[in-house]
Amino acid sequence: MRCTDACVYPFPLGDSSVRRMAQEAGELGLDSIVAVGAKRCIFRGVEVVGGTVIQGTNPGEVQAALRKLGGDPGILMANAGDYAFNKALLHMSRVRVLRGIHATPRNSFDHILSRMAAERQVAVDLDLSLLVSGRDYARQKALQRYADLARLQSRTGFPLTLSSGARSILQMKSTRDMISLCRLFGLDEDGVEEAFLGIANILRPEKAVEVVE
Amino acid sequence: MKPRPPTMRGKQRYVLARLDPPSLAVSGRDLYYAIAESLTSLYGDSGMACMEPSVVSCTGGYAIIRCTRSSEGRVVAGLAAVHQVQEVSVAVRSIRTSGTMRSLRRHLAGMTPRAPLGEQDAYFQGRSWTGVKYPGGKVDLFEKGFKNQQPLFLTEEDLEE
Repeated sequence: MRCTDACVYPFPLGDSSVRRMAQEAGELGLDSIVAVGAKRCIFRGVEVVGGTVIQGTNPGEVQAALRKLGGDPGILMANAGDYAFNKALLHMSRVRVLRGIHATPRNSFDHILSRMAAERQVAVDLDLSLLVSGRDYARQKALQRYADLARLQSRTGFPLTLSSGARSILQMKSTRDMISLCRLFGLDEDGVEEAFLGIANILRPEKAVEVVE
Repeated sequence: MKPRPPTMRGKQRYVLARLDPPSLAVSGRDLYYAIAESLTSLYGDSGMACMEPSVVSCTGGYAIIRCTRSSEGRVVAGLAAVHQVQEVSVAVRSIRTSGTMRSLRRHLAGMTPRAPLGEQDAYFQGRSWTGVKYPGGKVDLFEKGFKNQQPLFLTEEDLEE
């Protein structure tokens, strides 16, 4: 898992099957995708990891949604909100990725929460679909927030993930396209490569001591 | 009027891009307008003027875009941000950047063809579709009786289930 698209929405949420998305991801230079609502599998050499996005506006709703989850929900992602809500999300051990941070107030994720995210290995997702489909103020705001997050990440080292947010194979982005889009908000190639590893680091965190046979 | 000698001309870069879906016939002019709109919204009029983008060729599901040297990175970002041409969803995926068109054409000649392998009737989700097959087991489904609708993108394995 060296290059992962951290969030795609296959059929029925989108117009492309998870297999077709995996195949397309392979052609675009990715080796794994996180597919919302899909089960873990490997298709034509591309690893598909299941994911679930939890919609909730307060910690109680998120806790209730977490309790309702059955089976293997895969990687749990939650939509970010204000400062207190984000702090509560970081304390929930099952939530691994914060999404939609561009739509939150500027002070909702500061240096303190970023240090907390680094300690707990909770990633912050950068959804590149906003840079593609957004226009004018929406795109400018997303670029500002992403630039701010990239600066915070370089100082505190919390995991970043990159996602195309694709609901169709036409919205999926190649590694080359992702690198060029990330340059728009100041994330350099090394930063992008690190962000591609974000999901792998969450799934297989580095341990202090590891026994290798 | 004598043409300007090559050493006095500005240096150019050429970007090879793949257009998806391959079934869609996009004209060079429409593609140029989509790229120009994308680049203008990203970098503004002055940035767009510095890049001097133009669509040199647009055939067989591939396009070659010319731009000034040192602006190719921004053009690639602009291409990645194109999501519609004439209000039809497309993906413009940059593959390679080069200083000459010849090397891009040589690279293009070595790539696998993207022409459809044929059509077949398909039954999916309780409805009848026309399936267009592509190399690699890809199948695009178009619902029968509906014009100008977005297709479903599946694989042969999806239809077999």
